[in-house]
Amino acid sequence: MGLEQYQGDVNMCCRCSACKFIPLQHVKSYDFSYVCPSISRFQFHSYSGGGRANIISAGLKNGFNYTDKFLDIVYNCQMCGACGVSCNYAMDMELQEPINELRIKCVAEGKTHPELERVIKTLKKTGAMVPVQGKRGDWAKGLDLKDATKEKVDVLFHVGCLTSYNKDMHKLARATAQILKKAKVNFGIAGDMETCCGGRAYQMGYEKEFLKQAKMNMSMIKKAGIKTVVTACADGYHAFKVLYDKYELKGDLKVLHITEYIDMLIKEGKLKPKKALDMVVTYHDPCRLGRLGEPWIHYKGKKIPGDRFVFDPPKEYRRGTKGVYEPPRDIIKSIPGVKLIEMERIREYAWCCGAGGGVNESNPDFAEWTATERIFEATATGAEAIVSACPWCEVTLSQAIEENESSLKVYDIVELVAKAL
Amino acid sequence: MALSKEIYRELEDIVGEEFICSDPAIMPSYHGSDLGAVVLPENTVQVQAIVKTCNRYKLQFSAVATGWTGSFKKDIVYIDMRRMNRIIEINEKNMYAVIEPYVITAELQAECFKKGLHFNVKGAGSNCSAMLRGHGHLDQSTSGDDRNHLAIEWVTPEGEIVRSGALGSTDEWFCGDGPGPSIRAILTSAVPPGVTPGVFTKAAIKLYHWAGPPKYDIQGLSPKYTLPEVPKNMMARYYSFPSVEKMWQAEIRLGENEICMELMGFNVSMVAANIATCNEDDERIFKRLNKEKKGPGFFVIIAGNSDNDFAFKKKALEQIVREAEGESMKSLEDPETEGILIAQCTRVTASIRETFRAGGAFSSIPIMSQRDLTIKWAIGAGEAKLPLIKAGHIVDDGGAFFGWGVEQGHVGKTEIFCKFDPANEKAKAAVEKWSKEQGRRAFDESYFALMMGEVSDDIKANMCHYDKWWIALTRAFDPNDVAPQGGPLV
Ligand SMILES: Cc1cc2nc3c(=O)[nH]c(=O)nc-3n(C[C@H](O)[C@H](O)[C@H](O)COP(=O)(O)OP(=O)(O)OC[C@H]3O[C@@H](n4cnc5c(N)ncnc54)[C@H](O)[C@@H]3O)c2cc1C
Repeated sequence: MGLEQYQGDVNMCCRCSACKFIPLQHVKSYDFSYVCPSISRFQFHSYSGGGRANIISAGLKNGFNYTDKFLDIVYNCQMCGACGVSCNYAMDMELQEPINELRIKCVAEGKTHPELERVIKTLKKTGAMVPVQGKRGDWAKGLDLKDATKEKVDVLFHVGCLTSYNKDMHKLARATAQILKKAKVNFGIAGDMETCCGGRAYQMGYEKEFLKQAKMNMSMIKKAGIKTVVTACADGYHAFKVLYDKYELKGDLKVLHITEYIDMLIKEGKLKPKKALDMVVTYHDPCRLGRLGEPWIHYKGKKIPGDRFVFDPPKEYRRGTKGVYEPPRDIIKSIPGVKLIEMERIREYAWCCGAGGGVNESNPDFAEWTATERIFEATATGAEAIVSACPWCEVTLSQAIEENESSLKVYDIVELVAKAL
Repeated sequence: MALSKEIYRELEDIVGEEFICSDPAIMPSYHGSDLGAVVLPENTVQVQAIVKTCNRYKLQFSAVATGWTGSFKKDIVYIDMRRMNRIIEINEKNMYAVIEPYVITAELQAECFKKGLHFNVKGAGSNCSAMLRGHGHLDQSTSGDDRNHLAIEWVTPEGEIVRSGALGSTDEWFCGDGPGPSIRAILTSAVPPGVTPGVFTKAAIKLYHWAGPPKYDIQGLSPKYTLPEVPKNMMARYYSFPSVEKMWQAEIRLGENEICMELMGFNVSMVAANIATCNEDDERIFKRLNKEKKGPGFFVIIAGNSDNDFAFKKKALEQIVREAEGESMKSLEDPETEGILIAQCTRVTASIRETFRAGGAFSSIPIMSQRDLTIKWAIGAGEAKLPLIKAGHIVDDGGAFFGWGVEQGHVGKTEIFCKFDPANEKAKAAVEKWSKEQGRRAFDESYFALMMGEVSDDIKANMCHYDKWWIALTRAFDPNDVAPQGGPLV
């Protein structure tokens, strides 16, 4: 691992600016043509995926000079992966990975962001990425759920920090539990023993802290003999499924997002949304369920000397093709009375909600600005509600709605399913 | 070198603290140059103030839109036009659009398609400025280059605002040449090296009728986007011919009969790049198409305004091709592939695939002149590429060239490039040598060729010392020598 392995990739950047926009063939309007929140908000080319590649390329050649501006560029990015998808429509090169590695390098060299340091301090102390109020398992009080660390279960429901500790989000965990119960799934939770997946620490550049969390989780999972983990949080999904695999910690653990699981239950006839909800909704693809949710590809190979940037064996890139896009849509469509209208920027080229990469904590104004853009886009569809599949999206989008006095409603998909059962 | 505090503050007062930067951190993303500062103006008044400040301190500046290519001198003020990205007006009745420099083609096209309109797209692609003109895939139906600019708002190198044509007299955008001042000879181009001094801040560009759908219903996931079906009354074909002469015979007749929405003299290597979703596929598809083709060829898109119009165009196209012994490449008639090519080649979204994807660099010689003659030059340049291919320095494209006719196709652009890995010094040197030799040969054979670097005196003499006139002219506009001079104009 390390940034150096991507020298060849970042050198490939031809400054075409494709990384700023949704894949060009998909541009359907002037209003929603951009995909990268960072370049859209901060304007200097340096904030685009390509600009970042140029900076990394020069840094690897001449050394890195960590000026305030440099760090401003590094930390004002949701690490949402959209630049990589747009780039990889045309180019064969890694883009998101070197951007991740630059963050990791900054943190390793002590070039951190004070707000992120504070969050990581909390993580080290409490095992959570959010302020801790009460106990992690409080949301489950009165539900009589199995303790997966002690009892034999088929599925561990990993709830995640935000849903566990933000009382407003308890409804998501409760809805998920209700759905799984209704489908008679033999599932359990880790309750107070659950700890952070580490995914958001990774996004912030804290690789060591991420690894610590990942190892703790996998050790608990192995000890309890758990074979399948279901998360209702896109960050958790990405951590368990992609990052744990990247760092060779996942083994043969099966990781599913709740939308994949519910979709499967509906298709197997174990769940049937019956109640009509009569609403027009639009669906927001969380970055780490969508484009970044595609499986990690373990690759070892060498560049073939010569005229092309090609490898032996041929290198397969993660271009966002295999993210989770259809299950949430199929679920929405299966709910009687719900009509789905799509926004312009969807699936692998969806606009981020703003919460990723630690931006929520390091620059909340930028997170809200990003969410506001999404709210406008959702409103433009004529939908009355925006549905997502991640608590971080729900919280960030809700804040933007409140700030903009919009009448748009926000739901997590599990809320809709629970209502319809 | 950063600017003095005094100058920096003055520029900061114009654009605001957030939109000026001279921090070394950003320089690698600005062409790796050690710029004086990058400024991001929001409107023409700010551009004017920046230019006037540059004049006062005799500081050189360059205005840049997407800045895909280009190298910029150190210490200059780099005017990044990113924030000037508004579509001011799409005038359906008079068929023009008024835009600022950082509206990209993909954006304007999306808005125009909805209204049944489109415009000339330079071959560089939809990722570039829609305002800065050039030549491209649609030249047969939309003409190219300076034919498409109507009125222009221009900040001169000294910082005056000049409004050309009708804009200068009646505040209307419909004409660039009158009743107000026509300065077409100065406002030549923004494609290097023919860079106009000063800054374009707005321009009206001509719109044309678009016979395609209001939007493409793109299916699938990146990197493979397809259409569910070939749009009604549209067709894409690649025809190959037994000889260059036969190909030219068909090309010119199609131009004269105004059959094609697009006639692009792609070689099969470029077709492969359009279809292929990765380098390995690209190589495989190229080899297959190279075997399948009869000889040199071109790519055509026709679009009918009605069923009858389409039927006529199709019939005429097929007859002209048949009479020139051309044949459609069957594997490209597959509707999925046809759909990919229609969407990609009208929106011009694959130029990155065609050029940079393979090795990260390409070197090109574009020649503008009578198409049939320049094709002959290009055959020689292609043959000169073969030893480089054999040595493994450049990507194997069969030594091919490409190009297209403008309007009825007599004059056109013929271009040839080598794709290579810029980290490979031997390859780089070989390509430079090829480029120099073939560029020189173009001039010797009296073609307009776009050459980078110093142009020798005999070439300048052959071009009636146009460079001297140009320099004298731009100096008159730019007494403080602050505006970009462009390269060697020929
Ligand atoms: C792969 C590839 C293929 C290409 N194919 C074609 C082709 O087929 N046809 C063709 O015509 N060109 C072609 N080009 C050239 C292309 O048009 C230029 O590279 C251009 O730079 C594209 O970006 P842009 O339009 O955003 O202009 P920029 O790169 O931003 O600017 C181009 C030039 O204009 C100047 N400029 C920019 N904005 C302004 C302004 N507002 N006022 C004054 N000067 C300004 C800049 O200083 C620069 O010198 C190709 C380039 C590439 C890389």
